[in-house]
Amino acid sequence: MNKIIIRCNFLLILLLSGAISSAYANNQPNIVFEQFFIVDAAEVARSTAGYGVIKNIGQVDDTLINVHSDVAAVMLHQTKITAGMAAMTHVSNRVIKTHSELVLAPMSYHLMFMNINPADFSQGKQVTVQFEFEKAGIIELNIPVRHNTY
Amino acid sequence: MAEFIMLKNLAVLLFISFLGVQAVHAEEELPIYSGIGGNFSAVNQNGKPIEFNDFKGKPVLLTFGYTNCADICPFTLGYLSRIYAGLTKDEQKKINVVFVTVDPKYDTPKHLKKFMAHFNSEFIGLSGTKQQIDNIVSLFQAKYEKLSAENMVPTKNIRQVTQKTLTDESDAQEDKSSLYSHTVTIYLIDKSGFTRSIEYTGTPQEEFVGKIRGLINE
Repeated sequence: MNKIIIRCNFLLILLLSGAISSAYANNQPNIVFEQFFIVDAAEVARSTAGYGVIKNIGQVDDTLINVHSDVAAVMLHQTKITAGMAAMTHVSNRVIKTHSELVLAPMSYHLMFMNINPADFSQGKQVTVQFEFEKAGIIELNIPVRHNTY
Repeated sequence: MAEFIMLKNLAVLLFISFLGVQAVHAEEELPIYSGIGGNFSAVNQNGKPIEFNDFKGKPVLLTFGYTNCADICPFTLGYLSRIYAGLTKDEQKKINVVFVTVDPKYDTPKHLKKFMAHFNSEFIGLSGTKQQIDNIVSLFQAKYEKLSAENMVPTKNIRQVTQKTLTDESDAQEDKSSLYSHTVTIYLIDKSGFTRSIEYTGTPQEEFVGKIRGLINE
């Protein structure tokens, strides 16, 4: 009888831990980066841009709260065109909803690298960028520098 | 028999209208934008004073920007490079692509020359005094505006980085670049200096090339 009770308890614990880990997994964000590149900078440029797609394939919304690089100051910026005039704004917290994506492309959202040394942003180089998310934490990405193909 | 003749006529009409559409697409008759553009003086990337009238005789593609622009200006110049590449070598010699800086303090002729060469060494960069630039901006009914201090460069106060381009105070004094919002229009100007079309980077390449060809052949 005791053996049966022990086995039942063991089974119950297994089921419970399975359910808990499944629920935990379902509540975890899953951030994926695709097609990221940084535009090679002209010799005299003091800034350049990075483009790509950030996908949230997890089950919960997440927020990009910070972008950092040791090579240059970097921010998430958004270009908006109003009446033929482009204005650029700093985006401090960008929510990426579950099963959605943030597309960084010319004349829209982009990584804005400022105060750069152009030699660090020449074709063939790689720049390490840390993306900090509210839930997913810090994700480091090595982004290649190449000529703009947009 | 009557049906056959009707079908034949319809086919002929369709063919004629198709040819007409192709001709319009290739060499569209463009209106004159009265009050947009005009003669101005500036300094080219070789440090030589120029008048816009010097470009008369060749169509001009003119746009505004600045070398410290990370997103729009490189994208626009990349787009113009592709438009330029869509023309024949002979056609390329018959046009001028002009980039006017809105940041003449930082974008010296020497600076502009290196920047333009990054995209296409045939492109012309224009700088000048602030008064000259403001006059050009006004002539083309364009706008530019310095962005707020938060977005200005140098940005070492915004975020600390381990490596900096500016290593000492003298370098910092020289680096006077700022960020600007500005008009992103591409002006298509004919051989006589009249603005004939106002385009942007969303214009399909084939359509834009057709318009340029139209002005070359006028």
